[in-house]
Amino acid sequence: MPSSGMPRQLRRAVLLLSFALLALASVSLAAAQAGTPNPITEEGEKIGELWVFTLIIAGIVFFAVEGALIYAIIRYRKKNDELPKQTHGSTIIEFIWTGIPVLIVIALFTYSIIVLRDIENEADPQDLTINVRGFQFSWQFEYALNDLGTNNDPAAEGAITIIGNAAQEPELVIPVGEPVEFALASSDVIHAFYVRDFLYKLDVVPGRDNRFVITANETGEFFGQCAELCGLDHALMRFRLRVVERDEFDAWVAENAPAPEEEAVANAD
Amino acid sequence: MASIAVPRPKGYQRPVILDWLMTVDHKKLGILYLYTTMFFFGVGGVLALLVRTQLAVADNSFVGNDAYNQIFTMHASAMLFLFIIPVWAGFGNYIVPLQIGAMDMAFPRINALSFWLVPPAGILMFSGFLVDGGAAAAGWTAYSPLARGAGTGLDLWIIAVILLGISSTIGAANFMVTMFRMRAPGMTMFRMPIFCWTMMVTAVLQLLATPVLASALAMLYIDRNFGGAFFDPNGGGNAILWQNIFWFYSHPAVYIMILPGMGIISEVLPVFSRKPLFGYKAFVFATMGIGGLGFSVWAHHMFTTGAVLKPWFGFMTFMIGVPTGVKMFNWLGTIWRGSITFETPMLMALGFLSMFLIGGINGTFSAAVPVDFALHDTYFVVAHIHYVLFGGAVFAVFAGLYYWFPKIWGRRLNERLGQLHFGLMFIGFNLAFFPMHLLGLDGMPRRIATYADEAGWETLNLLSTMGAFLIGVSMLPFIAAVIIAFLKPKDQPNDPWQANTLEWWTTSPPPVHNFDDLPEVHSERPLFDHRHGGAAHH
Repeated sequence: MPSSGMPRQLRRAVLLLSFALLALASVSLAAAQAGTPNPITEEGEKIGELWVFTLIIAGIVFFAVEGALIYAIIRYRKKNDELPKQTHGSTIIEFIWTGIPVLIVIALFTYSIIVLRDIENEADPQDLTINVRGFQFSWQFEYALNDLGTNNDPAAEGAITIIGNAAQEPELVIPVGEPVEFALASSDVIHAFYVRDFLYKLDVVPGRDNRFVITANETGEFFGQCAELCGLDHALMRFRLRVVERDEFDAWVAENAPAPEEEAVANAD
Repeated sequence: MASIAVPRPKGYQRPVILDWLMTVDHKKLGILYLYTTMFFFGVGGVLALLVRTQLAVADNSFVGNDAYNQIFTMHASAMLFLFIIPVWAGFGNYIVPLQIGAMDMAFPRINALSFWLVPPAGILMFSGFLVDGGAAAAGWTAYSPLARGAGTGLDLWIIAVILLGISSTIGAANFMVTMFRMRAPGMTMFRMPIFCWTMMVTAVLQLLATPVLASALAMLYIDRNFGGAFFDPNGGGNAILWQNIFWFYSHPAVYIMILPGMGIISEVLPVFSRKPLFGYKAFVFATMGIGGLGFSVWAHHMFTTGAVLKPWFGFMTFMIGVPTGVKMFNWLGTIWRGSITFETPMLMALGFLSMFLIGGINGTFSAAVPVDFALHDTYFVVAHIHYVLFGGAVFAVFAGLYYWFPKIWGRRLNERLGQLHFGLMFIGFNLAFFPMHLLGLDGMPRRIATYADEAGWETLNLLSTMGAFLIGVSMLPFIAAVIIAFLKPKDQPNDPWQANTLEWWTTSPPPVHNFDDLPEVHSERPLFDHRHGGAAHH
């Protein structure tokens, strides 16, 4: 070591910082893989692309600035008692490093607004609509039999209603490859309807008609859960999601649709 | 140093305890603030460890759902309202008058009132654990209608937060008047130390934002106790209204919680790099910019309500990254080509730079509205706020404590213990909070008391819990250093760090009246000028 001011402290600080950053870097790489979401909707894929774009920019900024920081810590540690040059600033440099972030955030903003426009679609009247009702502490999913999207029978009456409770997670079934509208309502406090693999959530607000539309492009079984603190058993306000082919969905409807007289009984319950 | 007449003859000295209870000396009040807030930091930390213990493994029942909701609510409430916000008032109280060469704050009695509102508010808030239904459990955000129906603990919480709001509002007015009216001869506004500038902008934010919170809390109290329906859609109210008012305060409040920390970092970096702050004026304007923009971004907490103008708030949220970036570059420019030494305050400051950077970057994800749809209310956001408020604010608190400890208590904290403290805290912090990014991406919502095994979140949660306990352990060398320091006599010279600002001109600790004399002030670094022949380098 040259005659530096505090070699041991310095070595320690640098070692510590570099190890931590190395760990962070490797974890972030692992994260980039493990953490790259795997969306199951057309809308979610666009959000996922925006996520990756943002992650790349964030990564560049992170490594550039953190790199400069570590370089400065190593390179400009005290070597002698000479007073360093007293620079107070530089207008040109200030303009440059104000300008670069402005350009970056404008790029990010523009892309994010394009994606926002793409994913916030209104439902067509003929699309399947599921009435989702959040309550403390579970969900109710209601399918009106005359509003089932493809293969719809406008004359059908009644509805399929699935009601869960904190001990019994309700199951939501949707068809793949066609727009599905979720109409959200709350019986009590604010909840949030959240399916990780949609990369999307929307609040379920009492007194407010919140809706969104997705088109699933993958079948399978997934999870959803309330994402807005809603009280005691908030953590148990979970549900299952099954995305199925259209014919399987039709079969599920046929199996679960109440016959008119049955429905009267169900209503009396 | 020449001695001058002591203002009060010895015979009139009050007993020690009475003296501390009745003091209007800004230094003693500052110390009382620091003790009180560090106490609540400890309490909040213990609550955090309970949270992390509950979440360490899947399907855990260490604490029940009810207790869990109270614990995390009180963790956040203690950390934000009883630690971070008042701890800056503590530093500000002690340091601001000294940095501007004043004898005291402008209104010493109001200053005492500001402090003495804090302990009763803390007791009131925590007394919720003793009442039927327990402490507040609706989150520190107290969203309505949930908070309308919660137990008595929430009323106590409301009253406590209103008291703290009064404390910081009158404190803000006091700081502003002090800095506007009581600066030393020669100290123009643009020669004020940068910590004072950040306290100034913080005070403006507090003065403008905190009364808005008080109004929201009053409405909530009316809703809960007197049949009001401000936030009840069934009675003609609006459930989203609470969020608008609450975040109109609470987003600027995030800057109230971080700007003074940035000020401390901006004092420490120049001293231990032997260079002036790079771009002093740009830094001041960036601070004002953050303060101003801070009032136009509140609804980015509400993108998923579907009830706000998303492009506008997304854009403003991105824009606030610009002055924050400018600050980061100014700090880098400060240490660049410096002559850096690595005493503990500097380690903490460098820790701040490297971690606050992450807290800035991971915040931009939520500014991209569609990405926020995925991340909102997940652990990703929990990671973000902790990289800002722990990686930022808490590292700055410790930078400030290690830096000003010789001035305040006349002794220096042990360097080795300081390094150990920093190292353990740095590792523990990243271990605790980095995995939360991944948990959030993997769909773990915040504020859930438990999670199912099949969700697959256990490994990362266990890591995070280990990190949290490591943070807890890292406090031991700090406490040891404080105890060891207090056992030793006061031995610190006026200016142990070769620093720049006026607080280092006087003795450590300073006399009651602060200064016997003052140097001429020609720049923001009067002590540097004095050491190096007086001429300002502008």
